[in-house]
Amino acid sequence: MRSLAWLFKGMLEGISLGLLVLLAVIVVLAVIYRTLGMSLIWYDELASVLLAWLTYFGAALAALKRAHLGFTGILTGSPLFTRKVMFWFSEACVYGFVLVCAYAGWYVLRIFGNESLVSLPIPLSVTQSVVPIGFVLFAIAQLASTRSAYEELVLQTTSREDFH
Amino acid sequence: MSVLFGFVALFALILLNVPIAVAIGLVAIVGMVADNGFVSVYNAALTLFDGATNFPLIAIPLFILAGCLMNTTSISRRLIDFCLALVGFIRGGLAMVNVTVSLFFAEISGSAVADVAATGSVLIPAMKKRGFKPQFAAALTSSTASLAIIIPPSIPMILYGALSDTSIVQLFIAGVVPGLIGASLMFLVCYRYALKYGIPKEVAFSLRNLARSGKEAGWALLLPVIILGGIFGGFVTATEGAGLAVVAALVIGTVIYRDLEVSQLYDALMEGVTQTATVMLLVATSAVLGLHLTETELPQKLTLAVTQITTDPILVLIIINVMLFVLGMFLHGAAAIILTVPILMPLVNQVGIDPVHFGIILTLNIALGQQTPPVASVLATSCAIAKTDIWSTTRANLPLIGVLLLVLLLVTYIPAIPLTLVEMFYR
Repeated sequence: MRSLAWLFKGMLEGISLGLLVLLAVIVVLAVIYRTLGMSLIWYDELASVLLAWLTYFGAALAALKRAHLGFTGILTGSPLFTRKVMFWFSEACVYGFVLVCAYAGWYVLRIFGNESLVSLPIPLSVTQSVVPIGFVLFAIAQLASTRSAYEELVLQTTSREDFH
Repeated sequence: MSVLFGFVALFALILLNVPIAVAIGLVAIVGMVADNGFVSVYNAALTLFDGATNFPLIAIPLFILAGCLMNTTSISRRLIDFCLALVGFIRGGLAMVNVTVSLFFAEISGSAVADVAATGSVLIPAMKKRGFKPQFAAALTSSTASLAIIIPPSIPMILYGALSDTSIVQLFIAGVVPGLIGASLMFLVCYRYALKYGIPKEVAFSLRNLARSGKEAGWALLLPVIILGGIFGGFVTATEGAGLAVVAALVIGTVIYRDLEVSQLYDALMEGVTQTATVMLLVATSAVLGLHLTETELPQKLTLAVTQITTDPILVLIIINVMLFVLGMFLHGAAAIILTVPILMPLVNQVGIDPVHFGIILTLNIALGQQTPPVASVLATSCAIAKTDIWSTTRANLPLIGVLLLVLLLVTYIPAIPLTLVEMFYR
């Protein structure tokens, strides 16, 4: 189980890092090509899609590290029972949101048919698939980090599995 | 009424430890479903993708990446050495160095947290050793880093520019004068502190020393020239400038200084990816909230309600400043920008406030928010490095918060301060 979690973390890190590097390379190439008078017509569109992919794969990674911006002040200062209630309420909200978004993201893929990006022959159903994929990964990441977050925030002991 | 209920629910969810991005998305989707039925979630899914494809925001991961690269080379150390030779001869020299380094660092990374991480780990222990109280060392490092987000490039400005369709380049240039005024005032606070606690000069001034450290830091000093020269000169956009910053930091670290530490780089990159994704998920879910607010016509209703009371820009800016100051205490800067800009922009336009002027006011409020607990991300990072308590550090930080507040008031009520350079070069 533990090795599966680390494999999952490694996969998210590898994909996110690859997307970030690819994004940087494309922006720099675009500047070079434009300087040489040969602007890349697909640059804006592809870079924007890569940003969206980086957003959702990175968001799953941030969920695994419990790094999404939030306010823990009230939870950590409350008595144990209140901490438990708040923690599970918060978890329920996250699962509810990401699963609805994953379902809706998957459902809308069918409306794109054979449409593709304007400047490249990449189907829109492929580019937009990052929404359902990203939110499913988010849910898995949330699940994988629940125990350590519970220990840290509710029991207020050092987390056993540190994904940071 | 339902919109008011939505905002109460949003703040309740945030206080109950629901991640802010999820709270925003949840409130938006529930509101849309309540108004238009379950079919709205499909619109939400499409908007979640579109919201994350805002082209100018590509600059954010790239500037964060450039900051990561700088932190894993000797660029930061060389900048500190140069600043020590430049201003270390003034009484309380290390405090002056802290302010000056932040000015240079701001011109490269655009992120206050990156600034604190890079300079704080070196300067805070050195300041403690020199007799500065740890709380003051932490407070100064934190406040100068926040001031630095006024000086280009700036991630909050990129975020505001993208959300409000305002020129990011004009925002960048508008931040220069307020940033320099703030830095000068912080110098005065440091000088007064040094006199009060008898902190000595750091080094005697030596032209030879200045020339030597200037030569060692030459390439690092060239970085802001490349980035800002490219952007202000119109050769590249802000996004492309961020790309150039990455290449320049990489070339200087690997080819010229040859001290890029690959093992540290991986961790720094992962931190950069996480920072980018947390901000971008906020942007994406706020796009869904924006869709919901457009359907409910909240920004228009708010504009109407306020303009029925007053259309005086000065009074409107007082109301906005008070609201942003309070919000800044409880929300992370990116979240505050994302939540307020779509709601406030129609009002700002209606009463005739220049959007570039408003962008600088908003950024200064974000800088203040980074210094005011309970949610003070930059101050918390600085306290972690100095190993100080956040509340006692806040007491030491009061004069520096006062400086940020004074700059905010000057910028708010004397628009010429941020806008003169913009008028001279871009209008």
